[in-house]
Amino acid sequence: MALSLSQSLIRASLPISQGAEAKVYKAQLSETSLPILLKYRFQKHYRHPSLDNNLTRTRIAGEARALLKCLRSGVNVPGIRMVDAAEGVLGIEWIEGQSLRKLLGGTEEEGDDLDVEATDTELENPLKDYGVSVEELMKLVGIEIAKMHKIDVIHGDLTTSNMMLRRPKSVESTLAAELVLIDFGLSYQSTLTEDKAVDLYVLERAFSSTHPDSEPMFATVLVAYANVMDKDWPAIRNRLEDG
Amino acid sequence: MESFRFSHTNNVAFALLFYPVNNPGKIKQRIIDAAKVEGTEGDHERDTVNFSFIEASLITSRLHLETAINQAIIADSQGSLRTKTAHSEILFALNPTNNITEAIRRYGVSDKSESLLVVQITDSSASVSDVEIKMKEVVDGTVVPFGELATITEWDRVKKYHKLDKEVRGKGEETRSFIDNIVISSVAMKSVIQ
Ligand SMILES: Nc1ncnc2c1ncn2[C@@H]1O[C@H](COP(=O)(O)OP(=O)(O)O)[C@@H](O)[C@H]1O
Ligand SMILES: [Mg+2]
Repeated sequence: MALSLSQSLIRASLPISQGAEAKVYKAQLSETSLPILLKYRFQKHYRHPSLDNNLTRTRIAGEARALLKCLRSGVNVPGIRMVDAAEGVLGIEWIEGQSLRKLLGGTEEEGDDLDVEATDTELENPLKDYGVSVEELMKLVGIEIAKMHKIDVIHGDLTTSNMMLRRPKSVESTLAAELVLIDFGLSYQSTLTEDKAVDLYVLERAFSSTHPDSEPMFATVLVAYANVMDKDWPAIRNRLEDG
Repeated sequence: MESFRFSHTNNVAFALLFYPVNNPGKIKQRIIDAAKVEGTEGDHERDTVNFSFIEASLITSRLHLETAINQAIIADSQGSLRTKTAHSEILFALNPTNNITEAIRRYGVSDKSESLLVVQITDSSASVSDVEIKMKEVVDGTVVPFGELATITEWDRVKKYHKLDKEVRGKGEETRSFIDNIVISSVAMKSVIQ
């Protein structure tokens, strides 16, 4: 059987990483277009094929809908560039930059990292490149999560691997580096205080398990978050403190 | 002639931008009539209008059009077209709802069209000049460089159809690229909207 279009595209792409659910590639749709990131949710052989197809379709649809909702409300997320749910492929705007995990010098992930462009990790202080301090970066994190929670999107997997810092267009540029939230594969909609608090709790755990001295960093995230959430904050804080 | 060549398929899409267009009503009538005529005469008429005629004022960028073409080619390759042809599927992909009639009314050629993007999806062996001659046979209008699209886009109507009137104020370059990104994203995920 001939290869599907999405499979041909994958063949011509550069593998970036492989997780438990998806393989990730850097690809180019046409000779003139900018690079995109392909997320390929491969078949799980231990699941029944038709069940697997449905589940894959649902996950891709869910991820795409969450991204569009965020885009429409001005939450920084990658734009959507291609969807082939039948083949399990989601194509999104390629973010020129680095994951926070790498920028903050976090410990290695267990997932297979095939990143060929990870040269930034060798640098002494990779953040300097982006013109932001750790403190400013933490503020950006708090603001972006709050913007997302304001529209009742719960991320479901807030870790520093699922946040990227977009490199400013030029060094002198006044355009600040931009924090971009990625990986909405586990996201869902909810107005519940509880769900927003859990999102933050997951992030707190992720910080403390991958970054030394994470307490003041997370505190800065919360201050910025509280500022944007405003009157919604006290209830979320109570939930978070209850643990 | 603007061409769209993809890395994953031998299909190529060619596009010409016409502005102004002098015979939009006639083009529309020809498309309707071509569907009715039977036999070889009908085949000839259908071949003559075998393009996607797109209301150019609703296209925000090259990538917007490219994304609609790509999604139409993918649907076609899987036998999952929601409309009759890959060419009409482009119009369907451009409209944010699942209403096919609405998609054709908004994004297709109408009596009032002042500018048109005429697109043909074909294979890489097709001759550019043949395609160009055929497009010019149907459209009475002036061909302008593809880059002119930037001056043709009617942002207020784009905002209205995508229900972005409230989300977006402003008219600057930044606002436009914000809208463009949302519009492209909507087209890309059309197959999985609620
Ligand atoms: N839009 C993007 N641009 C550039 N790199 C990305 C983009 N999205 C993800 N990545 C990189 O690929 C990795 C895996 O992507 P992700 O969506 O988190 O999938 P997974 O479900 O495998 O965690 C991310 O940690 C990041 O380093
Ligand atoms: Mg991830």
